[in-house]
Amino acid sequence: MIEYLDVHKAFDAPVLSGVDLRIETGEIMAVIGPSGTGKSVLLKTTIGLIWPDRGDVLVDGESVRDASPRQLQEIRRKAGYVFQYAALFDSMTVYENVAYGIQDDVARGLGARETMRRVSEALDDVNLSTRQVLSKLPSELSGGMRKRVGLARAVVGRPRILLYDEPVTGLDPVNSAAIDQLITAIARKTRVTSVVVTHDVEGVLRYCDHVALLESGRLRFVGSPAAFRASADLMVRAFYDREAAATAAMELNEPAAIGGR
Amino acid sequence: MPECPPERSVALSLVELILEPIRALGRVGSHSGRHAGGIGTLAWRSLVATLTGHVAVRDVLAQLHSIGVQSIPLVMVTAVLSGIVTSQQGGYQFTSAIPLYVLGSIVTSSIVLELGPVLTAVVVIGRVGARITAEIGTMQVSEQIDALYSLGRDPVPVLAAPRIIAGTLAMPALVGVANAVGVAAGMVAAQISVGLGHESFLYGARLYWHSYDLFYSMMKALAFGFLVPLIAVHRGLLTRGGAEGVGRATTASVVFMIVAVLVSDAIFPPLFLN
Repeated sequence: MIEYLDVHKAFDAPVLSGVDLRIETGEIMAVIGPSGTGKSVLLKTTIGLIWPDRGDVLVDGESVRDASPRQLQEIRRKAGYVFQYAALFDSMTVYENVAYGIQDDVARGLGARETMRRVSEALDDVNLSTRQVLSKLPSELSGGMRKRVGLARAVVGRPRILLYDEPVTGLDPVNSAAIDQLITAIARKTRVTSVVVTHDVEGVLRYCDHVALLESGRLRFVGSPAAFRASADLMVRAFYDREAAATAAMELNEPAAIGGR
Repeated sequence: MPECPPERSVALSLVELILEPIRALGRVGSHSGRHAGGIGTLAWRSLVATLTGHVAVRDVLAQLHSIGVQSIPLVMVTAVLSGIVTSQQGGYQFTSAIPLYVLGSIVTSSIVLELGPVLTAVVVIGRVGARITAEIGTMQVSEQIDALYSLGRDPVPVLAAPRIIAGTLAMPALVGVANAVGVAAGMVAAQISVGLGHESFLYGARLYWHSYDLFYSMMKALAFGFLVPLIAVHRGLLTRGGAEGVGRATTASVVFMIVAVLVSDAIFPPLFLN
């Protein structure tokens, strides 16, 4: 379970302004919202990649804010993080990248054969042919394959929570749907708690259990996909209805247009 | 808005004129203090990681190959050229003024005390330091450093410490090569340019030789070998803002490394040659 408790974060300007959100074990929570509204920042606070200025994040009841470096490392080991552009290590092959997710097990004596089995299993889970990609460098892979390898690296350590930062950004519709299916399959198979930050609202509404809409650093909506679709809020509707989006965009552009005169 | 009387506005401008340089100094001081603090923390954490056995020997060996072995050809070329130039200029200045065998001492001392360590450090800055900053900077902006953290790894033992250890170990070896090659090249150049024979050159070199000079040279090499990768890694980890940010960080890193080497080079004589 993940709990965000009154999370505040500011860089030059406030990014998160008191976010309270609770994600139950095994649940898939979609976090959506306009660009630059703090979705990725919220995701990064989950495992202490970004520190909240105020408030706290609890992962299975453990405070991220009060965690010692060792405790923080333990919290991070419980989590798998899928980065927007995969963040694969350039100098390592696909095998080395995925095996990096089980470095601790290797250090504790996991043999080469077992390591290979775990890596192959993770690559199978993301529908990548082990023989095809194992010895390739990330630069030799397509965008979709890189995302899959990033996902394999995140799941190989059998995490209890999975954090996805824009998992389908930059992918074609077929690859996007494939990644969506993988997220669902992994969540259902392993009962892992998942947080998916995305702009692909249509895709994520098909499989998430709950959806949270973040706007200007605050939660504007939290509820089921059905409640999301039924909402009368223009900002909520703008995320699945083109006409509502156009109206919201006009409201957004209005001050600029006036200022430009 | 009510306007200030002219005499008051002049007084305010004067105060501003005096305060602005003080503010600028304050900003530079605070910026430098933050960097010094960051570098000190990185050095301390690298030391702790090394002493507690968290640094993989394999990573250190890979960096030793990259920083040390692969730098040898360029270090040798630089040493040969500096040996030739020192010898020729010395020959030009001292011919018919003092006994020519003194040239052996001048070339040897110049190379061992100054040119060997400093030029080798400059070569390593250009060849290795810039690359380390660009490499780690790219990892930073492409979230690979965050990926390391997310996998429960600390970048200090994985990225920083192996490079700092390798730099500290490789630099004395490189300076040793530069010293030997530079002196040999100077000896050959002395024979060709002013007709000073090898025996006379070596006689002059031995006449004023102190074993402490070699120790001094190695001390400099150790200091430079530690500073260069430390600064390079630190600047790399501070990189923000895409490809442009990597470019800016690399340039700043090279400037900072050169200044740091030259400043510490200037600190060495009063500390160790008195």
